[in-house]
Amino acid sequence: MISKRERERYKRQMALFGEEGQERLKRSHIAIAGAGGLGSPVAIYLAVAGIGTLTIVDNDMVEVSNLNRQILHSDRDIGKRKTASAEGKLRDLNPDISVRVIDTTIDATNAASLIGSADGIVDALDNFPTRYVLNDVAIMKNVPLFHGAVRGFYGQASTIIPYTSACLRCIFPKAPPKETVPVVGATAGFIGMVQATEVIKFLTNRGELLTNRLLIWDGMQARAEEIAIKRNPRCESCGDTTTAMRKK
Amino acid sequence: MRRYNHCHEEKVMKVKVRFFARFKELLGTDIVVDAATGIALNGLIRDIAAKNSEGYDEIFDENGTFKDFVILMRNGKRIDSTDAPQTKIEDGDEIAVFPPVAGG
Repeated sequence: MISKRERERYKRQMALFGEEGQERLKRSHIAIAGAGGLGSPVAIYLAVAGIGTLTIVDNDMVEVSNLNRQILHSDRDIGKRKTASAEGKLRDLNPDISVRVIDTTIDATNAASLIGSADGIVDALDNFPTRYVLNDVAIMKNVPLFHGAVRGFYGQASTIIPYTSACLRCIFPKAPPKETVPVVGATAGFIGMVQATEVIKFLTNRGELLTNRLLIWDGMQARAEEIAIKRNPRCESCGDTTTAMRKK
Repeated sequence: MRRYNHCHEEKVMKVKVRFFARFKELLGTDIVVDAATGIALNGLIRDIAAKNSEGYDEIFDENGTFKDFVILMRNGKRIDSTDAPQTKIEDGDEIAVFPPVAGG
């Protein structure tokens, strides 16, 4: 049930998707993998939108060089765990939701249990090997993965609905080389907003999701373009053979 | 008297190549080129990328093969980079070459 206080808090968005939509957000649980450049704006907007439970997983400490983009963390948080800093900020922003934080590194051995019973996973990671792990967990649990990634003034995003749309490995069969990427906070903000919007649309069952499309943002030219993508029937992660084997 | 040699004149095709993100910074984009009949996708992009060695090295390995993470699209359809040498370019094709980004 939506309380009187919540009804007031969410009044302006309930005009879009009604009490029923707000109830859905309240009953939902979203896992955010990473509390950095993408994770910060995603977590903030999902918290204020009233997603009932947020799980945030990160294993880093706040460093001064994070602060140009990781807007969940403040100067006074330098040296704190990112999870602790995130938890405090999100509780301040919206005490009506439940925030769970897990201070660990995601890998193939723990990913499924970290994600638990979440209704969707936000990819706010900074590397492809762990993204592939999340992709596999999303497929195994049959929950959506909201992908985003940034570099400099460029970003990309796509929404993955397992077995329905192209998965992360269908889109990117091979990881780009590892590097310390330059990034401006506003780019992470832009892509994070696309991801947060997708989560809200998915949970309230509104609009057209960014599935089978890769959105490419070029901040330098102020152009957003998209590339049509398709499921790869031979995909290592979600292809027909793999799926058939999993079903056995 | 001028002589025309129609038989041996190579037919030229117009092809548009779009680079994205980092590739665009180094090589430009919306490049319309006259491509020779029969040229394959890897040859086409190699010729264009050759004008900037940094751009070339971002896209191709030392054997002149597409790096495995490079995303190739032809007229909106994905081409696996391993199929690029067998993918013949046709008049009017639009090719997109895109590097995934990984930061978060």
